[in-house]
Amino acid sequence: MKLVCLGLNHETAPVGVREKFALSDHALDREIENLMASQDVEEGVVLSTCNRTEYYAVVNGGSGIGELENWICEQRDYHGSREGVFYQYEARAAAEHLCRVASGMNSMVLGETEIFGQVKKAYQRSLEGGATKAVLNKLFQRAFGVGKKVRTHTAIQEGATSVAGASVELAEKVFGRLHGSSVMVIGAGDMSRKTARALQSRGASSVMVTNRSFDKAVDLAEEIGGRAVPFQGWEEELAHLDVVIAATGAPHFVVKPQHVEAVRRKRKFRPLIMVDIAVPRDIDPKVGEIEEVYLYDIDTLQEMADQARKRREEQLLLCETIIREEIDKVTLPAVND
Amino acid sequence: MSDLDGPALFPPNSAILKESAYPHLKGWRGGVSYMGMEIGWVVIATFLASAGGVLGALAMRADKPGRAAFFWMSLAFGAQLMALGWRGGLRGQCPLGDVGEVCLFLAWSLTLFYLVTGTTYRLSLLGVFTAPLVIVLQLIALVPGAFDTGVVRADSVDAWREAHTSLSVLSYGALALAAVAGVMFFVLNYRLKAHKFGGGLVHGMPSISRLVQAMARIALVGWVILTAGTVAGLLMPEGNFSIHLMVATITWVLYAVLLGIYFVRGLPGRQLAIGLTGLFVLSLMVFAKL
Repeated sequence: MKLVCLGLNHETAPVGVREKFALSDHALDREIENLMASQDVEEGVVLSTCNRTEYYAVVNGGSGIGELENWICEQRDYHGSREGVFYQYEARAAAEHLCRVASGMNSMVLGETEIFGQVKKAYQRSLEGGATKAVLNKLFQRAFGVGKKVRTHTAIQEGATSVAGASVELAEKVFGRLHGSSVMVIGAGDMSRKTARALQSRGASSVMVTNRSFDKAVDLAEEIGGRAVPFQGWEEELAHLDVVIAATGAPHFVVKPQHVEAVRRKRKFRPLIMVDIAVPRDIDPKVGEIEEVYLYDIDTLQEMADQARKRREEQLLLCETIIREEIDKVTLPAVND
Repeated sequence: MSDLDGPALFPPNSAILKESAYPHLKGWRGGVSYMGMEIGWVVIATFLASAGGVLGALAMRADKPGRAAFFWMSLAFGAQLMALGWRGGLRGQCPLGDVGEVCLFLAWSLTLFYLVTGTTYRLSLLGVFTAPLVIVLQLIALVPGAFDTGVVRADSVDAWREAHTSLSVLSYGALALAAVAGVMFFVLNYRLKAHKFGGGLVHGMPSISRLVQAMARIALVGWVILTAGTVAGLLMPEGNFSIHLMVATITWVLYAVLLGIYFVRGLPGRQLAIGLTGLFVLSLMVFAKL
């Protein structure tokens, strides 16, 4: 018996190829059934996310990984080039790869946590379908333990690696918890949406959207469960806000010091965080000179995200050591031989 | 208790010892002087506070804020209590009769409010900022001559005077802590404004809002205690308007104005921090001069 892993991901295959191998929940169950129908396959787990599709299988000695690749391409009716598209691991290398995936080390956003739940779900489906036995049960349980250990013993998931995440991090540095905080998004573009959503995910309760084209403001407000405000009256709302996100395409400053000065007393000089993710900038840098205003532009946020990514990359060696140590403890012929 | 007995934690409460507390016990007994017992406890308290400050700072540097500062400051608090207990036993009243005792009492009060507030507001780094002030106050107390050696045990105790002095110094502990929170605010505010996010300092610090809230609330607690202390001062039997009492009253008014403006009209965090640190330093300097 031998443990094998065959897969493709965002690093090896373009989205046009990945989507050919991506499996819906329903298709996933059928795929596992088909895989297990093969005499050579003893156990199997199929993981399918938007960035990867991977097959973990315990195969009988005679069958090789090549046969598995042929079978998968046949199943998916794929006739394109296979060169560099698939990666393959056997025995211990396959076990280590699974641990890397569960730890988020192999993800598009290094250290992201969503993959852990996706691996768990994939294993659960196979377990319920009777497709896992001694080897994969033990291996996946070990991988989940390793995933948790890597996240708690290293800084692989620390710091925000996106502009939206960095905005949230800064807002939390000023306000602590964002529960109950009010946010205004000036501009109804993609960055506005992402940043507003990131703030909402951390508890921001009231989100207002304003845009020169009111219809677009209404659309975005409806999408994120916020309230559209006419562009002519956005300054009046400033007195009640905690966070302002500016991302318009305006060629001049939209937010000026006098806008904030006019409402300082009414705000009782409460802190106000302003995030300017527009180029050219929407917020006059002089606004940042007002005592209780904390102003950040796209360069600052980008630098924060880059530094966080760098810090995460620096953790990779430590993560690898943890994985090696943990796999050393596994005593399975399919993995060790 | 015979002369050959080892040193007691607190001096015996004897009515005979009136003129000077234990003159017959001066000198060394088994390596520890009765008169120097408070010095020993203050030295221990200073080492413990230093450990709290250093270990807290190291944890902060490593970006792993923990409970190190809190733990060591708790021990320092115990040592301060022992020293104050000893001096209180000598005097037979609240130990606020000399520079050493005032500094020690202030350090104790500051530590007390830190231990209460540090956990309430989860201001784990407050200990790192509090420890240096505690150490400075205790070092002043350790300067030779800061503790009177010829302490006269009080015949009688004036409750209003006791309440006035102890509550006033206690309130200064809270006001000192509010000033410490103000210093933390300056550091965090500068780094957030200047976009300097590196290191464990910014990461380990509480948020700006929490610091402003902590500053205002701790100062309010201090002000309420100062109010009680000032009222007690006015009710002293020889309640003549001494210069000390006058300065205390002016301090009370200034804090009242600052806090009034903050709670009623609102004030940027930086101005509140300037007000609280400035007022504390100023009043301390005035009292030191007096």
